[in-house]
Amino acid sequence: MTKVVTERWPIIYDILKREGIARQHLNSYDDFLERGLQSIIDEVAQIDIENAEYPYKIQLGKLKLQQPRIMELDGSITHIAPREARLRNVSYSSPIMLEASVVEDGKILESRFIHVGDMPVMVRSNACVLRSFSEQKLVENGEDPNDPGGYFVINGSERVIVGLEDLSYNKIIVDKETVGGNIVFKAKVYSSIVGYRAKLELVMKHDGLIVSRIPGSPVDIPVITLMRALGLESDKEIAIAVSPVDTIQDELEASFEKSGEVPTSKDSIVYISKRIAPGMLEEFQIKRAETLLDWGLLPHLGKNQDNRKEKSQFLGEAACKLIELKLGWVNPDDKDHYGNKVIKFAGQMLADLFRTAFRNLVRDMKYQLERSGQKRGINAVAAAIRPGIVTDKLNNALATGNWGRGRVGVTQLLDRTNYLSTISHLRRVQSPLSRTQPNFEARDLHPTHFGRICPSETPEGSNCGLVKNLALSAIISVNASSEEIIEKLYDLGVTYFLDAKIELKRDGTRVFVDGKLIGYAKDGQKLAESLRELRRHSKIHPHVGISMHQPNIKGATKRLYVNCNAGRVLRPLIITKDNKSLLTQDLVEKVKKRFLSWSDLIRTGIIELIDANEEENCYIAIDQEKIKKHTHMEVFSSAILGAGASIIPYPEHNQSPRNTYQSAMAKQSLGFSTPLMNTSTYVRQHLMLYPQVPIVTTKAMGLLGLEERPAGQNCVVAVLPFDGYNIEDAIVLSKSSVERGLGRTFFYRIYEAEAKQYPGGMRDKFEIPNAEENIRGFKGEKVYRLLEEDGVIAAESNVRGGDILIGKTSPPRFMEEYKEFEIKGPYRRDTSVGMRPSESGVIDTVVMTQSHEGGRMYKVRVRDMRLPEIGDKFASRHGQKGVLGLLANNEDLPYTSEGIVPDVLINPHAFPSRMTVGMFMESITGKAAAMRGTQFDGSAFVGEKIDAVKEVLGSAGFKYSGKEIMYDGRTGRTFPAEVFVGLVYYQKLHHMVADKIHARARGQVQMLTKQPTEGRARGGGLRFGEMERDCLIAYGASMILKDRLLEESDKTEIYVCERCGLVAYHDMKQRKFVCRVCGDKARVSSISIAYAFKLLLQEMMSLNIAPRLLIKERV
Amino acid sequence: MVFIYVQELARFLFGLKCFHFDLASIAIIEEDEQKIVVKLKGIQLEYANALRRMCLNGIPVFAVDDVVIIENSSVFADEALAHRLSMIPLKTDLSRFVEPSKCDCHSDTGCSNCRVLLMIDSGPPDTTRLVTSAELTSEDEIVKPVSDKIPIIELAPGQKLKLEAYARLGRGTEHAKWNASNVSVLTETDKEDEHILTIESSGCLEPSQIVLSGINELANRIDDFKQIIAAL
Repeated sequence: MTKVVTERWPIIYDILKREGIARQHLNSYDDFLERGLQSIIDEVAQIDIENAEYPYKIQLGKLKLQQPRIMELDGSITHIAPREARLRNVSYSSPIMLEASVVEDGKILESRFIHVGDMPVMVRSNACVLRSFSEQKLVENGEDPNDPGGYFVINGSERVIVGLEDLSYNKIIVDKETVGGNIVFKAKVYSSIVGYRAKLELVMKHDGLIVSRIPGSPVDIPVITLMRALGLESDKEIAIAVSPVDTIQDELEASFEKSGEVPTSKDSIVYISKRIAPGMLEEFQIKRAETLLDWGLLPHLGKNQDNRKEKSQFLGEAACKLIELKLGWVNPDDKDHYGNKVIKFAGQMLADLFRTAFRNLVRDMKYQLERSGQKRGINAVAAAIRPGIVTDKLNNALATGNWGRGRVGVTQLLDRTNYLSTISHLRRVQSPLSRTQPNFEARDLHPTHFGRICPSETPEGSNCGLVKNLALSAIISVNASSEEIIEKLYDLGVTYFLDAKIELKRDGTRVFVDGKLIGYAKDGQKLAESLRELRRHSKIHPHVGISMHQPNIKGATKRLYVNCNAGRVLRPLIITKDNKSLLTQDLVEKVKKRFLSWSDLIRTGIIELIDANEEENCYIAIDQEKIKKHTHMEVFSSAILGAGASIIPYPEHNQSPRNTYQSAMAKQSLGFSTPLMNTSTYVRQHLMLYPQVPIVTTKAMGLLGLEERPAGQNCVVAVLPFDGYNIEDAIVLSKSSVERGLGRTFFYRIYEAEAKQYPGGMRDKFEIPNAEENIRGFKGEKVYRLLEEDGVIAAESNVRGGDILIGKTSPPRFMEEYKEFEIKGPYRRDTSVGMRPSESGVIDTVVMTQSHEGGRMYKVRVRDMRLPEIGDKFASRHGQKGVLGLLANNEDLPYTSEGIVPDVLINPHAFPSRMTVGMFMESITGKAAAMRGTQFDGSAFVGEKIDAVKEVLGSAGFKYSGKEIMYDGRTGRTFPAEVFVGLVYYQKLHHMVADKIHARARGQVQMLTKQPTEGRARGGGLRFGEMERDCLIAYGASMILKDRLLEESDKTEIYVCERCGLVAYHDMKQRKFVCRVCGDKARVSSISIAYAFKLLLQEMMSLNIAPRLLIKERV
Repeated sequence: MVFIYVQELARFLFGLKCFHFDLASIAIIEEDEQKIVVKLKGIQLEYANALRRMCLNGIPVFAVDDVVIIENSSVFADEALAHRLSMIPLKTDLSRFVEPSKCDCHSDTGCSNCRVLLMIDSGPPDTTRLVTSAELTSEDEIVKPVSDKIPIIELAPGQKLKLEAYARLGRGTEHAKWNASNVSVLTETDKEDEHILTIESSGCLEPSQIVLSGINELANRIDDFKQIIAAL
């Protein structure tokens, strides 16, 4: 039976192998470049230059993106690939060339392509030079062929725009709310066009009156009035626009009554205008109201007067849904339903940004051209365009993640800890909800997440459930042409809503395309089916979602939603017919052999992509045998997990939070993150010397390329206490195994320095700072000893904390400090770059290059070999983490009669409460796999069945339980109980003692407070905190208290005048104590206080408070 | 051969005076180039286990201890390369060499009695090729890699490897590279004070020699211990 399930894996494999794991980013970005950019420019289309003498127009035409390049300081152009951008700390971006024409009296005089700014290029997108490279060529260009792309290189660092969850646009969402004990019904719509969003809200209060809240209006406007203003004159028209059903119309009574005072369209517009622009001239008021109706209200339906009918119809529909909610005919919409959500990726995010940037550019250009007056022609236009406006805006936003309007953290530094962490980062989805509020429902796992969002992979703590990860089977929809769909719908017999007869309106189905009512269909169910049939025959885009909503209540409105928008999360399902899946074994074989691709299966209507709304219309079987009346069948059960959870063997046997912990932990494991270590420019990077492919693997590991980029090692693990050295989640490692290379990693850190130029012609200089040359901050000969003539350290030298790697001197910070008559010449500052005080290593690589500013730049990479030491963190793949407690001698370790000595000893107490049964299963499966000499599969739900594993063990002479007799290496005696031994894949995590160990006796103090500094990097002290203080107080240990908080901290002596109680001082010249308040009458004594207290006194004095210290002799 | 072992062992056992004299005996059950299985009779578990531990990592064998890298343009870091070299088991001749700590030369670099020089010079390869232990040439005729097939590193065209490696005698207790045997197992039998000792050599020494040296080493240490006790 298991065989049947696993054989559909090739489909998932084919999807991800062909599309890559960052497809959602690439599609979104490519669509933006192809259409979004042009549409933003087309919105502007023409710029009027309102010049008094020569008014003319600039017409904006087509847009072209050139090859990625940088402009050097001397103005020359270098075409670059991502590697060079990373190495030289520059942005990987392409110039946007826009065709602009000067138009006078409707005639085009001149036109030209003008550089309007640089667009950051997403690595591996259509605009990227790597796009067409073969694997060999990628390697030659210093790129990892397995790199998924989907990120940007900004100032040399890799930035990802993580997917952002958002409520669906243009969709009416109804909800019940309780306001002051009354139930209020609401219908909300986020009307959206490229880069712009407007919210519309209809509210039905307890008195039954329906009012609308629209952006730009400070007061609520009755919906009837609004509809009337949009051109529906009579009450009947309005009522029918809502619904022809009497029960629904009855609910409008209160609203009609209220709006009786404004009987005509004209009156309604006046009514609205008075409320949105009170106190203005009537003429202006009307104009404002008209613009509001055309621009501010439901912009997705259009911005022209002709669109008003559609808008009134839309309002009618919203009111109808609202009333149906009140009547209990429809349920409140579920905001957490994934059908009501879209995910925005790089393209949509960049569109927002580019729109504002481009408008700024246009405004700036217009201003300049209007001011310059006489100069005209295309060259003047070109000169007036400042590409920096767009370039800097995009660059800054991507570099910092500040998207404006308070949105921060939109971009993140791509996680390169290991290959998995990179993949997982690229498949991450963020919710815009605040993490400080509970938002319980939004954090919960929702049934519609199935196959779309990983049920396990989410962080713990404040972001729990808000940060999600895409499941392996998830596919993000792209924009499909809605015009085509609408045309098809009319062909299929949909009647335009203005032409529809009342009977059709009453009994038919309302048909919506992207939230827009396009008409009525006689039989919605049939229409949905025929539309799906078209999709299955690839007559329409496969990403189109078709969902039918048909309540079982008489009179309730039937609705058919057709969605073409981007950002919906789809998942592939196999279509069934006559209780049989259409996907035959033969087809799977062909896909497996790559004769067919998954898109062929889509095209031929064997598989289809279903969004969360459409899934509500489906009945999905898990497996072939279980098909009864099902419409679809699942493709592959393991694919409901995301990248992070996919590496866990037998996850279905673990307690669920353990899988969540593991998903987070796997991203910290060290391994073989990139084959291009020689050109890697990440500031911090780890590399495992002997990484291994896990012997118990999962299907997804192979698919995601994790077997080519592993992060961990297979260890012989015995579940056994060892002299207390593995109590409380510690683990014991065999010292011999460690000496043979277990857990051996390299740590690389890059130090860099750049020679900058300063105004006044001065510049930084790379040299060995010379003690005789008047250099401030000279650190003493010793630390410069490793520098070579050019001021830079030699490769393969051994370095320790504080040693200088790059010798550099800089000119003085402020020029006025230099006096002409001083004997010494101008000083220079030592700005050399040295090793971090607590690190040591060997110089691995020294790179010299030229920075963007044209100065010389050095990057020095230091490597440090890290053997596992006591305190280093390790974990299995089941959320079982622990620190190394002992490196046990080989001869002391237990052994089996075959001479197997475990690498790892884990305490049995790690299991009962955590219930990570998957780890036991991995252990014995690993053992069986080792006996067979092959990898065994532990994929979720379909992994090697444990009975089969037992059989292998039995035939190899082992007990099926995985237990073995073991001998104590210290005594030679057998243990009284049998010991569970097997093979488990262990990961070394990047929390290492070498990075954290810290102690201090005396050391640096802060300049302001004279208290010890904080933090390891500054050699700081360990804080004796409030709670520690409380302990000493409770204990009455006042001397220790004084010692900790005063003597060993910021004790100082100050002088105080006993007479006035204010701070006095000692005048060195007069050799006497002075109190500026009391003068001769002063009586000054010295006291010992905390320096922080002295600061407090002075700060209070600056606030015009006189803090007086009343002191007397200590008894 | 067997006779010698029994004699040796008997000598050691009699010297100890803590065994059942009459019962103490040793017999080889199985022996080949890699593995030896012996039956220990009439020896207390504590001593038998001490012998097991000694055979595991108490006997000096050769391993690369110091590497002078003249040129390394491979992808491996020098440290990583040195570690790989140290892991290569070297045939050990205990008769001609002494441990550096016991050598009369008392020098850090060592002398011909306490170290062996091995070298690799890959030359510039034209194609990607694997450097194996076969290229780790030794100045000594006996002390050299136990196998020619141990991979050291793969070199791409243009990469080069040239180094000198100094092998010294050492003990597994200090570092696993000096482990004399990979498997050293003591198992029970049905009878009291009868144990089976299984030794699998790493290849440095003959399995039988490991047992022999183990016995010697154990005897010496017990002697030392006795003297310490006596001196108290």
